[in-house]
Amino acid sequence: MKISVYRFNPDTDTKPRMQDYEVKTFQGMMLRDALLEVKKQDESFSFRHSCGEGVCGSDAVNANGRNVLSCVTPITELKSPILVRPLPGRPVIRDLVVDMTQFYEQYRAVKPYLVRKDPLPEQEILQSPADRDKLDGLYECILCGCCSTACPSFWWNPDKFHGPAALLQSWRFLADTRDQATEERLDALEGPYKLFRCHSIMNCVEVCPKGLNPTRAIGHIKELMLDKGL
Amino acid sequence: MSRQASGLMAWLMQRATAVYLAFATSYLVVHFFFNAPASHADLVAWVTRPAVAVGLILCVPVLLAHAWVGVRDVLIDYVHVLGLRVGLMLVFGFVFLASGLWSLKAIITAGLGG
Repeated sequence: MKISVYRFNPDTDTKPRMQDYEVKTFQGMMLRDALLEVKKQDESFSFRHSCGEGVCGSDAVNANGRNVLSCVTPITELKSPILVRPLPGRPVIRDLVVDMTQFYEQYRAVKPYLVRKDPLPEQEILQSPADRDKLDGLYECILCGCCSTACPSFWWNPDKFHGPAALLQSWRFLADTRDQATEERLDALEGPYKLFRCHSIMNCVEVCPKGLNPTRAIGHIKELMLDKGL
Repeated sequence: MSRQASGLMAWLMQRATAVYLAFATSYLVVHFFFNAPASHADLVAWVTRPAVAVGLILCVPVLLAHAWVGVRDVLIDYVHVLGLRVGLMLVFGFVFLASGLWSLKAIITAGLGG
């Protein structure tokens, strides 16, 4: 199987190039396995990976124009030759390794943790099963960055628009009955940039390897803003 | 809580105006497809019917508000040079204002028999 990967070393290259490799396939081979084969053939090739099970979110890449998590993407699902590029819109550090600083800054900005104003109880804060169910489809995010780096609004304003991953987490804590900072969280999202750059393009939903729906979460935030603001 | 300005209200305005425009556009398309005025006099007569005149007069600011939010979104997304963005916003603002005033004049003039 032919695989063509994006190569760029800022120390030695003036511009990026695509380099072809021939990789022997096996049954059940994932894209990550193919990239590891490339790495065996050419040690200068760089890409991020870790758990290999779709849990750590390290190995998100753009394969044939679509953001995927390479460890859970069978090569049989990809048309040959497979073109593997870094996540779009992010500065390239080397080959498939990109700088995700802005992505993490946006995540940090939504305060992705419970905020309590009441004194903390000595034991855990209980939730009803129905309230716990509200977090399903939200907490599973592994921060791979497939969604935000597929979002045109994030491409144009990565320093100002929170992006789908961060906004999914924003709703995850707004929806959590144990959280007590709803007003502050909503106030922090006001303005034309942080939340309202989302135009419901839904690339995020299309590419999420966990099948999550950030667009729906963003819609819930807007509904809650209306509810609390009007 | 100060959640009035540029984010939530712009988004709400765009959606609310879209609902009106969806009905108005559907009506106009159906009307002009099945019952298009045969002459200028017929067109003026149709425009001066009270329900149509009120609907069209309302349509002008609604359409301009919808267009303004859309254009503003495009400029915020794609034009990052502040001076250029403000300049383009002013140009679109003046064009929209002039278009709106001209459209209202046309509808009102038709109603007055001009």
